[in-house]
Amino acid sequence: MTGFTDWARKATDPSLAAGKPEALAGLRVLELCPGHFGGMVAASILGEFGAEVVKVEPPGGDPLRRVAPEGILLRGTGLPFLSEARNRRFVSIDTEGVTGRGLLRRLALSSDVIVAAEPPGRLEAMGCDYLSLREERPQIVFLALSTYGSFGPDADRPVRDSDILCQALSGAPYIVGEPEREGSRPLPHEAPTRLGNWHGAFVQGLWGAFGVLAALRFREETGMGQAVDLAGAEALMMFADYNITWMHTAGKARERVGNFDPAVFPYTYIRCRDGYTFLAAYNDEAFESLMHIIGRPELARDPRFSTPKSRVALENERALLSILEEWSGGRTADEILSAVESYTSKKSGPGAAVVTGRVNRPLETLEEENWTERGCFVRADDPACGKLLLAAPPWKMSGTPARWKTGCKPPGSDNRDVFRGILGGTEEEYRRLEEAGVFRHSE
Amino acid sequence: MSGFREFAEKAFAPGAIPGKPEALAGIRVLEVATRIFGPATADSLGLFGAEVIKVELPPRGDLMRYVAPEGFFWKEVSPAFLPLNRNKLHVGLDLHPAEGKELFLALAEKSDVVVENLRAGTMDEWGVGYLQLRERNPGIVYAANSGFGQWGPFSAGRASYDATAQAVSGFSAVTGFPDQPPMKAGFWVGDYTAALMSAIAILAALAARRKTGEGQLIDLSQAEAMIRTLDWTWPYAGLTGKDRMRNGNVDPSYPPSGIYRCRDGFVAVSVRDADEAACLARELGAPELRGSRPVPPERVAAYCASKTTGEVVRRAEEAGFSAAPVRGGKEQYRDPHLRARGTVCPVDDPLLGRVDEYGPAPKLSESPGRVKWCAKPVGWDNDRVFGGLLGLSRTEMEELAGRKVIGKWADIPGARPPKGSVTP
Repeated sequence: MTGFTDWARKATDPSLAAGKPEALAGLRVLELCPGHFGGMVAASILGEFGAEVVKVEPPGGDPLRRVAPEGILLRGTGLPFLSEARNRRFVSIDTEGVTGRGLLRRLALSSDVIVAAEPPGRLEAMGCDYLSLREERPQIVFLALSTYGSFGPDADRPVRDSDILCQALSGAPYIVGEPEREGSRPLPHEAPTRLGNWHGAFVQGLWGAFGVLAALRFREETGMGQAVDLAGAEALMMFADYNITWMHTAGKARERVGNFDPAVFPYTYIRCRDGYTFLAAYNDEAFESLMHIIGRPELARDPRFSTPKSRVALENERALLSILEEWSGGRTADEILSAVESYTSKKSGPGAAVVTGRVNRPLETLEEENWTERGCFVRADDPACGKLLLAAPPWKMSGTPARWKTGCKPPGSDNRDVFRGILGGTEEEYRRLEEAGVFRHSE
Repeated sequence: MSGFREFAEKAFAPGAIPGKPEALAGIRVLEVATRIFGPATADSLGLFGAEVIKVELPPRGDLMRYVAPEGFFWKEVSPAFLPLNRNKLHVGLDLHPAEGKELFLALAEKSDVVVENLRAGTMDEWGVGYLQLRERNPGIVYAANSGFGQWGPFSAGRASYDATAQAVSGFSAVTGFPDQPPMKAGFWVGDYTAALMSAIAILAALAARRKTGEGQLIDLSQAEAMIRTLDWTWPYAGLTGKDRMRNGNVDPSYPPSGIYRCRDGFVAVSVRDADEAACLARELGAPELRGSRPVPPERVAAYCASKTTGEVVRRAEEAGFSAAPVRGGKEQYRDPHLRARGTVCPVDDPLLGRVDEYGPAPKLSESPGRVKWCAKPVGWDNDRVFGGLLGLSRTEMEELAGRKVIGKWADIPGARPPKGSVTP
């Protein structure tokens, strides 16, 4: 262990984060995103860095709570919601009446950031739209989340924003999955393939948080707030590599190539004795190293594989894959890793760039000590939901570490605290509002 | 049309962007990175106005320069290198000799952020890591992007690419079809996702610095970034002791939402709530399914198979559920909506001419992001940075170039300027 490694560990170990200052302390975020996972992600990310997040749920709770893969519900809430319900206060207000709308507006006007996934017309009806808020509070930063965005020819399309819509439009599934074979009826899996997690919604939330932070930086410099418009489709689109530049320069669109890659080979999953592992060699030097590792040094000069261009021809990729799998089939992923590391540790520069890593099932990831030691998972002992295994904030930071602080609570759990603490109301006023059904509790 | 809709058409109009200020103006970023994870982090900061100085090892530079789809270079540049390296200043600087280190430290003194993605600990071994830099500039925000983290059992020696993160995080295990092998996403999602998370942490650290004056180290593993994105995978594993399975093209949280084959392509059908589910059931002629059970995916598949994607989208809009076509690069390139939003935008580059690009995803009404210029050859901005910013004389720069401390492009595709261009 070098001095730096030792220092970095002591300075950034998440188990030592408590008590350190938070980057976004003092920032208040209001989340108005019923049924919307991307909005929850945006607010969670800001909350992990220390922003105070107030989530407003409609009476009966956020409909996302009832989304329950395999029917699993913990006290009425499904696992997708529970996975993002961190570091928040939970408020439930009936905004059908004028009193509720007034309260919501006061909350909004006391906030620095609004994260909204409701359509503009609905926000106007709730008295919580950007234009009327900024009249009273020009410093407000307002993040508007949707599928297509707030302007442009498709902005009025009547869709309810969801992960699958954003994925489809992003161009991501188009280049994920197996191509159809010629001359035969396509099998179900020979199709554009969705990313199995809600990656579209997640990345929408990430770009949303990025947009908010950029806008806050501008506000620090100028005092001005602004609106941030984010189309979920476009968020994941930013990750679709060179889709546009290749169209522009070569008139070519990327197509599905299964587990291959049109620009680099080998860069694929190969079969090994205990499953699959990733194997890559980006350049000629690394390819030569790899051929030494598998005991076939002569193949580095085989005309099918001797240049990056020849290696990415699909028929050569297929030929090379079977050569690689002849070698890997009898070895475990760990043995492959050892073979690669023992060879590349003697090299430096481009020749060392042979890379591998086991294709883990989630339970295999959980067994690997690296992630546990680095505090990647939180085992939350949640007062409402019991023990929950959650992904921790991924950043290790020496000064103002991000952190998981609190878990999910039932809708309306923080009504009183928020009314009294943020809006400055009295206990008596609160009781009257609760009796009138303006503030709601689920339990 | 709502008031906001009307406001948005004007406030976000791409035509007005060049006259508006930039959100991250005044922030200087030093990038010591190759391929995607580090460069994409700096790229997203550069799109919003940060000045990014990309430090490359001369004469070959960032090895991503030679990653070219089907081996194709255009005007001596790979189309895969362009989207990662907009709005940057390119310098060729060797960090191995002492003079190179000193130049780098001098640049770091004048910078706010360092982004690197070398193997863990490499910058420290070279004497230009966070601990050395903060001696000279305590305000520096240092983003150390890596595969497995700067410390911990896997941190030493292991290299990582996008698909390493896809593989080891469990991401690939939940992507694809249950009766097929795990599917690697065909785009570099394990780099881009982590890169965006790195950029977010940098902005958070800069916000903290405004209060304290202190910089900090950000250690981000790309596998850990992917772990964070896997939504209910982890609580499910914790509660049931089971692996979440691959579920093909149907979203297990919102069945029968998913991707379906049409006569002329593919469409995403989406039902997020009971209203939409009821509308879909009615449209499919299956009102008996309107209750608690979702419409079986097979019924949706049969419905879509006889229609075009356009028909499904139109029928969905009329019937009250949601649908959208599965689009690829070709459709995006020509899409009037994306053009009107500046999400696909032309760049007028001084060296390459017109290049069409993805513009920034978040649209900011007052301080919008933008693509100002494209990637440059290795060392293209040496004079501007070493002369202009560090104040070296022409003679000093020539001597440093003679000793190969600073340098410019190799005479090979990927590194060099287009033929016939005027060099600076």
